Order: sequence, then structure tokens, then C-alpha cells
Amino acid sequence: MAGKTRARAAEAEEVDQADITMEDAPPSAQKPGYSQEEGSAMQEDEGEENDVAGEEEEEEEEEEEEEEPQRVRILPGSTETAASFEFLKEGHTLGNALRYIIMKNPGVEFCAYTIPHPSEDKMNLRIQTYDTTTATAALAKGLQDIEDLCDVVADEFWTQRDKFNAAQNK
Amino acid sequence: MDYDNMMLDGESLGPTVKISAADSTHVDFELTNVDLSFANSLRRVIQAEVPTIAIDLVEVEVNTSVLADEFVAHRLGLIPLDSREIDQLNYTRDCDCENSCGKCTVQLTLHAKCTSDEVMKVYARDLIVGIDRPNNHIGNPVITDPDGLGSLICKLRKGQEIKLNCIAKKGIAKEHAKWSPTAAVGFEYDPHNKLHHLDLWYETDAATEWPKSKYADWEEPPAEGEPFDFNAVPSRFYFEVEGAGNIEPDAIIQEGIKELQKKLAGLIHGLGENDGMNGDYDGPRSPDAMDGGVGWQDQGYTTPYGNAGNASAWGGGAATAYGTTPYGNSGGGW
Ligand SMILES: [Zn+2]
Repeated sequence: MAGKTRARAAEAEEVDQADITMEDAPPSAQKPGYSQEEGSAMQEDEGEENDVAGEEEEEEEEEEEEEEPQRVRILPGSTETAASFEFLKEGHTLGNALRYIIMKNPGVEFCAYTIPHPSEDKMNLRIQTYDTTTATAALAKGLQDIEDLCDVVADEFWTQRDKFNAAQNK
Repeated sequence: MDYDNMMLDGESLGPTVKISAADSTHVDFELTNVDLSFANSLRRVIQAEVPTIAIDLVEVEVNTSVLADEFVAHRLGLIPLDSREIDQLNYTRDCDCENSCGKCTVQLTLHAKCTSDEVMKVYARDLIVGIDRPNNHIGNPVITDPDGLGSLICKLRKGQEIKLNCIAKKGIAKEHAKWSPTAAVGFEYDPHNKLHHLDLWYETDAATEWPKSKYADWEEPPAEGEPFDFNAVPSRFYFEVEGAGNIEPDAIIQEGIKELQKKLAGLIHGLGENDGMNGDYDGPRSPDAMDGGVGWQDQGYTTPYGNAGNASAWGGGAATAYGTTPYGNSGGGW
């Protein structure tokens, strides 16, 4: 049993390592930075772009050592007021609440979320706004709004709990 | 009942909580003036994402019981261990140590041998908890029965022996149900089904065949011949949280909200360093960096994959109002 379990844990680590290099991942799952390096923008001014790409690579490596990898990205084809976001390791727990609260924003014309495939731990969120705001700003506001709502509910729950306990002990 | 006061009070439009029952393993409460999506997020997060500690690795030295090693290991994993103040424990994956240490694991050992003619029962209380841990209660087996035995692990007959070493780790129920802080979470709204979210099956009459929830008395039943309000949304949610014993029920709710906030804070942080919020990104995958000279950046409805306008990369002309989706195939998929 012990041997078996340990072996499994080691395997999982290997998989993690493979994920970091992303060599065999499909292009859609690869780190955005890669497509940028290979992107056609480079061809326009090769010397300069190469430098930029090199710096970015270094930055990304540093980041990975300290922090968890970027969990939100903007999908290609997005503009300022109409964007699709891809969240890694998120699901209905965040998706539905976020969708609701973003739709509450008067500057937002449309917001919806989906989990494109059940075996990929990803959640996509589409935001289309009026000219008064941008999709990213609406997303940031939505996240902040839920956080504030959480504060209110947590405080309320704890006050009511204290009240309930006080009443019980009377 | 002071619900009437609350309902009359015009100022109390924010979220309110009303606790109706609570003991060492349960808390029943009503959450009002929040949206269904938020109430459901709260339910999901307390069921699946509140961290606890449970036995994760078992090294079996001797096992001559009738149960296979894996079987015993599974049973050990399911034993609730005291998970209060779990913040003091690291996830092993985040810990600085090589494999495991006192900051991320709790060691439990078990050694029992039956020497009498009677069947010997081995209980959770027989687990010996190691001393190298953040505080002196984390990882203790939860024992709530009057005899102080805890969960039954296995039975031994004369001559049978079990000797093993367990490593308990911090985790969440999304990974394995053994890390669940809850045994069950009741979640209910709209006891009279006024919103028609349910389509009740019946033989002759749904009203007589379906028993009313206990919360039916808390809300007005629909008036005779009341028209269906298709704009109505649920606003009163009845939670019945039953803890597994590893965390107190009220702390489960508190920790749940905290986990939700951690999620949000992480994403806000990620967004902030990515692009400064106003869509002026120099970060990865910005539309400009992807621009291959094709006029795809019109309204965000077309793909960057080398074709403009309505024609998808796969040939067929997409005829929806949205042209092509950002996913590289025709808009029909929407
Ligand atoms: Zn450690």
C-alpha cells in the first residue's frame, strides 16, 4: 500500500513538471507567451521583437518560481468593450455569481459564462459593455463586488450567530 | 417570530441572516436578499472547498487482519480529524519541506494485536497522534460518542495484528470527499414552488401528493387564482448545514466565505498585474500582438486565424449575427 501510494504521488509531480514546459500541450492550452513569440508581429521588426520576447521569457520564469501561474486570460478576438475571458481552475461556484453581479453593472450590455468542456478545468466568461466602460473594468468591478458582498454576508452571519448564542445561554 | 418586523423594515434591503437552530454539529439558517447564484456559490464552497485535515498516506508495517491494506487505508482516510485553526497548517505542495514535515502534516500511528479469544475492536481513539504539529488539537480523531471510542477501524481475532503509520494532510473535498467539513448541506428556496422552478410529478393532485416543506409556514402561500409572476426571483434561502465533526458548523460557513474571498482576491491580483484594468494590455494574448494584418479586429466577433469577416476557418460561411466566434469555428456552435 505504502509503496503504491508513494509511487502515485511521484507520478503526479512528474505530470506537474510536464505541465510547466507545456511541450505536448495543444496550442489552445499553451501559455499565451509562446504564441506571442512565434507570432507574426516578430516578422515586422525582427531584431527588436526578439529582445522583447527574450525579456518576457525571463520575467515569466521568475514569476513562476514565486507565484501561481496566471489564471485569467483574454481570449483572442476580443476588443475593449467585448471580451471573452478564460479562467483556469474555476467553475460554476465563481462563474454563476460573477455572471450575475456583472450583469448588475449598468455599463454592461451582456454577460454569460460557460464551461466549454467537462474534462478541462476551465471556465469562460463573455462580457460586452456599452462605451461607458470596458470589459476588463467590468470584470474587475464584478470580482470586487462579490468580495464586498462576501464581507457583508460574513459580518451578518457572525453577528446573528453571536445573537443566537447569547439568546440560547440566557 | 420577528420576521414581520424585518419585512416591514424598509431599510433592511441588504443581505440578512436568521439562525433558526444550532448545536455542535448543525446550523440551520435563512439567508435573505441575495441572489440565487450567490447563495449557491456559498453552498458549493462550504461543501467542496473548505480545507480540513485527513489521513492521506498509510504505511502498513503489519496487517494480518481480514481487511486488505487498501481497505483499511480507505477507512482511515474517512475518519474525521480535528481541523480547527487549519490556517496554521500548510498544504504539503506549498510547504518548503522535501516530503512532509510538522508544518504540513500530522503523523498518526496505530498498533493493535488481539491476544484474547474475544473479537477485538480497533477504534479511532487507538490512533496515537504525533507531537510535531502546529498546535495540540489539530489532527486529533474526532470522538463524540459517550464511550469515547470514535469511529470503528477494524476488528481483530486472536493472533491478528495491525501496525501502521499514517500521514494526515490538509486538503479540500473537491479532491476527495474525505476532506469534506460537511456531512450534508440542505439548500432550499421557494417552498410553495411559486416560481415554478420545479415541475412536480403527480397522479391526480400535486398539492396533496407532495408533502410541504417545514419552511412552507415561513412564506405566504400563493393566493387563489394568483397569476404567475414571471419576473419573480427567489430571495429567501434555507440552509441546513450538518458538519462532519472536524470543524464547528458556524466556522464552516465563515471559512467558506473566506475561501470564496481568497479565490476572488487571487483573481483580482492576477488581473491587476496583467493589464491595469482598462483594456490597455501589454500582457500576453492582447489583440494587437496577435494581429496578423488581417482585419479581424473589427468588433471582436471574428477569429484571428487568418480569415476576416464571416467565413470561418473551416470554409462554411457563418450566418449568425455574431459572425464567427472567438473559438475558431462558425458561429453555429452558439
Ligand atoms: Zn512541510
